[in-house]
Amino acid sequence: MALPKLREFITPADAQGVLNALRNYQDRALIVAGGTFLHGLESRGLLTHVEALIDIQRLGLDYLESGKDGLKLGATALFADLETMPEIRNDPWLGAIKDALVFPPVQVKNAATIGGSVAASCPFFDVPISFMCLDGVVKCRGSSGMRDIPMQEFFTGLFANAMENGEFMVELAIPRPRTRSASAFMKVETNANDLAILNAAVRIDVDESGTCSDARVIAGGGVGETPIRLSDAEQVLVRQRLTPEICARAGLSAKGSVNPISDHRASAAYRSEMTRVMVNRALRQALDRLRQ
Amino acid sequence: MKQIVPLHINGDIHEVAIEPGATLLRVLREHLGLIGTKRGCDSGGCGCCTVHLDGKAVYSCMTFALQVAGRKITTIEGLSPDGRLNRLQDAFVEAGAVQCGYCTCGMIMAAQQLLDVTQTPTEEEIRRAIAGNLCRCTGYHKIVAAIKLASAP
Ligand SMILES: Cc1cc2nc3c(=O)[nH]c(=O)nc-3n(C[C@H](O)[C@H](O)[C@H](O)COP(=O)(O)OP(=O)(O)OC[C@H]3O[C@@H](n4cnc5c(N)ncnc54)[C@H](O)[C@@H]3O)c2cc1C
Ligand code: FES
Ligand code: FES
Repeated sequence: MALPKLREFITPADAQGVLNALRNYQDRALIVAGGTFLHGLESRGLLTHVEALIDIQRLGLDYLESGKDGLKLGATALFADLETMPEIRNDPWLGAIKDALVFPPVQVKNAATIGGSVAASCPFFDVPISFMCLDGVVKCRGSSGMRDIPMQEFFTGLFANAMENGEFMVELAIPRPRTRSASAFMKVETNANDLAILNAAVRIDVDESGTCSDARVIAGGGVGETPIRLSDAEQVLVRQRLTPEICARAGLSAKGSVNPISDHRASAAYRSEMTRVMVNRALRQALDRLRQ
Repeated sequence: MKQIVPLHINGDIHEVAIEPGATLLRVLREHLGLIGTKRGCDSGGCGCCTVHLDGKAVYSCMTFALQVAGRKITTIEGLSPDGRLNRLQDAFVEAGAVQCGYCTCGMIMAAQQLLDVTQTPTEEEIRRAIAGNLCRCTGYHKIVAAIKLASAP
């Protein structure tokens, strides 16, 4: 990897050490967690200015906690550890995370971190949109303290997010749903080492009468510079008794709301059609989980 | 600025002076002569640089050497410390799972992690375990057969 200006590899023992290093180097510092996306950034010419790498793996942020309010996932917890949490494996409301974690190869799961997957702000990743459909909240730390950024406001552009210079992510919080809820994730890809052509993550909440009280429909993977929340598709679901026909209508609505890119992986037309198919299938999967 | 750090590799401790951006792959091959770990794509796409970090398969081309100071690293050389092939390596020979051989070390390191945690994996589990490793020669069938052979009771 060519980092022509790199001078220093810093391994702080605590959060203050990270903040100091970020202050000293300003935007010439780059945080490293699992390191699995640095090639991706470097090959796009985005790291030529980097003078210091700051390793955040010794801060004790690799915890995975589950409590009555929901999950607290430390920024440096690994995909491989998240995958083995009993709740992730078994609970319908967390189905989207379980589905998304099927895709990365073992070597990536053993290194990639929750914080790195989110902070990379790459619209083609899978795991972050599974967090997004669960209303995940990014907790970040800066010199003036802690700040919460809802995931739906986190991504601001290609490889860009709402964290300020000098801030870094310490945790992802996922609120526990108050009603019966299920989520699911689906993806179209070429092979295990390639980025998504298209992906979709959905969540449905239902009240005691079985009516949908709230829903999330998120699409990513080339639908835009960031993953997108498709509110129109959500509105097709809310206040309805969910049936396969309603899921299909939401898929059609999702297709109508995206304006995808064409690239070497797929055309815009194919991505549009796959938005319909994947949203529909993910909703059907979530519906099946709700009935379990 | 180089830093001198201890790397725990295959049971030995090496004190190495490492530049800040050096990957574990580069240090293994260029500083320590452990050339069993191969450099293919150097960007996380092929798997032939796979090593174990605390017993878990990772791409050494995506791991900064300074990040793993003090942690337990095992390379393909570490699977046969006394010069005798282990059961999985033998199975690759027996099943004819090697053609040009460039992917083999990484394949074995990925498969070894699977066998370390799953005694008799299904074909699906085997194929998932090596999904991050490309082979341009064999068509994978004999590789899968070799891993099955090594896991047979
Ligand atoms: C071969 C391969 C296959 C993949 N397959 C998939 C897949 O199928 N599905 C999928 O979803 N993803 C996939 N990925 C992407 C993978 O999920 C990301 O590379 C990974 O999650 C990034 O996490 P990391 O810890 O390695 O981050 P790093 O590479 O260390 O960092 C990534 C970026 O985030 C920043 N960063 C990291 N942590 C923080 C923090 N706490 N605060 C602020 N900034 C931070 C870094 O500065 C950098 O800009 C794949 C990657 C590879 C290489
Ligand atoms: S050389 Fe590391 S994955 Fe190809
Ligand atoms: S044997 Fe040649 S790449 Fe696998």
